[in-house]
Amino acid sequence: MRRAIQFRLNGASVEAQVAPHETLVEVLREEFGLFGARESCGQGLCGCCTVLVDGTAVSGCLYLAALAEGAHVQTVEGAAELDAVQEAFIERAAFQCGFCTPGFVLMTRQLLDEHPDPSEDEIRHYLSGNLCRCAAYPEIIEAVKLAARKRRQS
Amino acid sequence: MKRATQATETPQVGRSVPRLESWLKVTGRAEYVHNLRLPGMLYGKIFRSSVAHGRIKRIDVSAARALAGVHSVVTAAEVKTLVPEPYYGPAFHDQPVLAVDKVRYVGEPVAVVLASDPHVAEEAVHLISAEYEELPAVYDEVEAMTSKAIVHETLKPAGTFPDLKHLKGRSNTNVALDFRLRRGDAAKAMKGAERVFEHRFRTQQVMHTPLEPLVSVAESTDSSLTIHTASQSPSFVRIEIARLLGWPENRVRVRVPFLGGGFGAKLYIKLEALVAVLSLLVHRPVKVSLTMEEQFFTITKHASTFRIKSGVTRDGRIVARDCEVWWNGGAYADIGPRVTQKSGFTAPGPYDIQDVSIDSYALYTNLPPAGALRGFGIPQLVWAYESHTDMIARELGIDPVEFRRKNLLREGRPQATGTRMKDAALEKVLERTAALLEWEKPFDHGSGTVRRGRGLAIGFKACIANTTSLAAVSVNADGSCTVYTSCVDMGQGSDTAMAQIAAEVLRMPTESVTVVHSDTDVTPFDMATLGSRSLFHSGNAVKLAAEDAVRKLNELRAELKLAADTPIADVFRKKYGMRAGSVMGGGNFIPPYTPPDENGQTENATPFWMVGATGVELEVDTETGRVRITRLINVADVGTPINPRIVETQLSGGAIMQLGFTLFEKMLFDAEGQLRNASLAEYKIPGLLDLPAEIVNEAVVAEQRSGPFGAKGVGETATFGVSPAVANAIHDAIGVRLTELPLNPEAVFQAMHK
Amino acid sequence: MLKIGEEERGLSPFELAEPRSLREALALLGADGVRPLSGGTALMLMMKAGVLRPTRLVNLRRLGIDQIERGNGGELRVGAMTTLRALEKSPLLKEWPVIARTLRTLSNVRVRNVATVGGHLAHGDPHMDLPPLLSALGATVTIAGPKGERTTPVEALYAGYLETTLARNELITQLLVPAMGARRAAYLKCTTRSADDWPALGVAVVLDGRKTSIVVSAATDRPTRLASVEAAEGLRIESDLHGSAQYKKQLLRVYLARAIHEARHASH
Repeated sequence: MRRAIQFRLNGASVEAQVAPHETLVEVLREEFGLFGARESCGQGLCGCCTVLVDGTAVSGCLYLAALAEGAHVQTVEGAAELDAVQEAFIERAAFQCGFCTPGFVLMTRQLLDEHPDPSEDEIRHYLSGNLCRCAAYPEIIEAVKLAARKRRQS
Repeated sequence: MKRATQATETPQVGRSVPRLESWLKVTGRAEYVHNLRLPGMLYGKIFRSSVAHGRIKRIDVSAARALAGVHSVVTAAEVKTLVPEPYYGPAFHDQPVLAVDKVRYVGEPVAVVLASDPHVAEEAVHLISAEYEELPAVYDEVEAMTSKAIVHETLKPAGTFPDLKHLKGRSNTNVALDFRLRRGDAAKAMKGAERVFEHRFRTQQVMHTPLEPLVSVAESTDSSLTIHTASQSPSFVRIEIARLLGWPENRVRVRVPFLGGGFGAKLYIKLEALVAVLSLLVHRPVKVSLTMEEQFFTITKHASTFRIKSGVTRDGRIVARDCEVWWNGGAYADIGPRVTQKSGFTAPGPYDIQDVSIDSYALYTNLPPAGALRGFGIPQLVWAYESHTDMIARELGIDPVEFRRKNLLREGRPQATGTRMKDAALEKVLERTAALLEWEKPFDHGSGTVRRGRGLAIGFKACIANTTSLAAVSVNADGSCTVYTSCVDMGQGSDTAMAQIAAEVLRMPTESVTVVHSDTDVTPFDMATLGSRSLFHSGNAVKLAAEDAVRKLNELRAELKLAADTPIADVFRKKYGMRAGSVMGGGNFIPPYTPPDENGQTENATPFWMVGATGVELEVDTETGRVRITRLINVADVGTPINPRIVETQLSGGAIMQLGFTLFEKMLFDAEGQLRNASLAEYKIPGLLDLPAEIVNEAVVAEQRSGPFGAKGVGETATFGVSPAVANAIHDAIGVRLTELPLNPEAVFQAMHK
Repeated sequence: MLKIGEEERGLSPFELAEPRSLREALALLGADGVRPLSGGTALMLMMKAGVLRPTRLVNLRRLGIDQIERGNGGELRVGAMTTLRALEKSPLLKEWPVIARTLRTLSNVRVRNVATVGGHLAHGDPHMDLPPLLSALGATVTIAGPKGERTTPVEALYAGYLETTLARNELITQLLVPAMGARRAAYLKCTTRSADDWPALGVAVVLDGRKTSIVVSAATDRPTRLASVEAAEGLRIESDLHGSAQYKKQLLRVYLARAIHEARHASH
């Protein structure tokens, strides 16, 4: 029942043999050795499995891989160098165990694409679907604000 | 990047160095066991008990075995062919690798399916059926004291602990441990007291919920075993697995990369015994990764009941305190007996009370096992004694801060065990919390349907004793440094702190130091990463190891007749004629400790005290009972911070986590012991929208003289006071007292209308 | 609530059909074990939990029914495959600000990025936010089936907990929301655990001159219209993990009053 699907992954054209029931996060892990998107709650509530499909953030654990056919899939591993968001997360100590961090980084990029100068309320709402059990939330809010400043300056 | 050979005079301790692994974590490249796949690896999926207490009559695995793609199905029968006595545990050898004869809680592992495809293994699990002869079950910790339902036929304390020996072979009881402390004569003092107050408090069962669910992988040959595991206690895992298999320790290797959170969930044996046995049975690597849901059936935090009684003089001096604490340990003891005892002795709180009596009971029940969760029982105790303290103060008409001041344990005064307080900044922490709350100023209590209140609470903890840490420091030929420790970085930032300590001693930049992750073939013994002990214990061991390395380097310089400030790389070049060699320093840290007598008395109960207080301002919606925290103040004595920034994130993170346990987190069971909310959809943890409007964190100026560079642990400190501070503030707002967690809107509303 | 022992977890194998037209999609539906796949967020959850074990999913994503437009009568027309996020960002929602406000706190951004209006309405979970609001606004849906199209009020879609009046071979194709006109509306929801929890209660209120439309959800097994404010007292509410029936009744009293207040002061 496996079939070949083609898509772009972090800018490169790729092909994968996927079964209809396999999720995007499984295929990224098993076929491409990408571990930045990781399944945690398995219900799309924690954001650890966040990936971008055609530029839009989705929960990779609830997204059938077969539906990525022809799409551009981007993961946290996509960029070669640290961007303003990642730098800001480091500078503001916005993570502890790091398991949720790739999801927060990707969602923050989306937030700043939509709202270059987000209010604290916008930050809290936009990222409310990402959980951090270490509760680095105050530092995450600070990091998002710093990333916004860095982006505006560059 | 700075060159490794560069020496520095800049202090490395006290610097807010970004975590050494920052790049790895923001790019998704940090190593977790979750990522690991080995050639030929099988995935194990667990079939779990559907009854809370029952004798296993029959397990039918035939359909599962027959499913295409299934490699094998394993039950206790197969486990016993390899390990005849397949029971493990840190205090009691009571937990079977897979259920033997009996099941003791809903969700207990009964069988495992192995397959190359985890979906196939999962599918096959559904084809397994089991029949049980159901037995009466007990769920409540107080009922368990006298219940006819007996969870374990006989107690099986681990033989290694002298203080548990008396429990061996006890039967017909659910009391795993009865800790007793007597100081003076509390009953007599109570009789003589002008006022007596007695209250009862309860806490609920909750779960750690690390976002990286428990995961272990084992690979084996007939004579060696490697376990890759998300564990906070690799050294313990090696010892316990070696004991189970009857192997020498050096044939069991335990590797631990980064952890995606721990909080006490990943201690002792969780999946390690299971994957080890499975791998040895099938001669293939085996991985078991739990789902978030399965974590709820693996390890939790104790529900508890605490009866606390105080005798007080009319002017507010506490003269006697009587504490009775029941800990709901669930079906297996895990570290519960140690929680009962090692935290139990602080049950009277940080107050100077002449006559004290404590009884603390570890109980078995038919619920998922409970262990340590960020505080090792302390948050449950502080919840009770700081609510009680506020209730007494208000009854006596004394300001709650003043009442605490009057009774606080001062430096040098003996605590309930008789151990004198040392380097415990209780006064400072209390005063700073009151100051940050502007306690002396009038407070607007709101009006209409929005009432405002404020409250505070202070707690303390004795770091667990008697424990050991070893470390090694290698100074390499280019002057760079490698630290070997079995301390596990589960997010608390220990790698960075250990590197800072080594760098400070070696006078090099922290960035020139790397920390080798736990690998029992490489890194030396460490008791475990728990209870905020690691910065102090492993930190001291690393410091000793680095000092040893410096001593050896200086000996080399002397031998080679080099100046004292000769750069390290030049020393090696001179010695070996080329870039070669290294210097290895060793550190072995065991703080002094005196075991308690039969009354719980000892002159030295702990290597150090942690002190934490919480101040809260909140609003209560009187129509719905909803509580909104507007200000959360966390004040702590952490000694002298090694990395102030990481200390701050630990304080605020710990407090926010405890806020979840305070306001809404709760595992809900039905009358049959079935958990009704085993998922993040139904068991809610705090998110960004639950954050208090304002959070203030402060580490008071303090020094732990026995700590590395004056430092001590911080991981748990901010959790202590949160729950009672919120309850005290709710009382301040609406005059209603809650005595059971969580303080959810319905509980507040019901209390208002009782 | 599923129990250990009864529960079946994990995704089990199924086929994925990819129709290119509505007619093709409809032809594939109807048989046992066949389910339409829209955004898939709720469906995947039910499949992972083993509540649903379909043998074939019919992917609706290539049907192209995702336009948002204003109709000739001033009504809002939303293609069923429009994502909640696309709707939320649509400039047309300036005329239906209550919908935009509701979408902002509906689940999370990732879910809204994927979940569709049609899927959201067809799911039948009473904890969803749009069904009570759209019911109160008098919205209707166009439903396509083997015999052609029919139109039904959103309110009439729900028969019970996770039960809708859609036949297995029918699909929602379009949502129609009448112009707000002079109407003012509010939707309030209340969570009893974390802020991002499923609601314990949802209350939609639409004021149209002297007429008040009230639809309650989450605390009831389906979106339920109240004939009057007083009717709240007689509403059947069950205890669940979010709270006791008695407490949720209190929440209803409070939130109903607050929703009416908010609607009165809303610009629309």
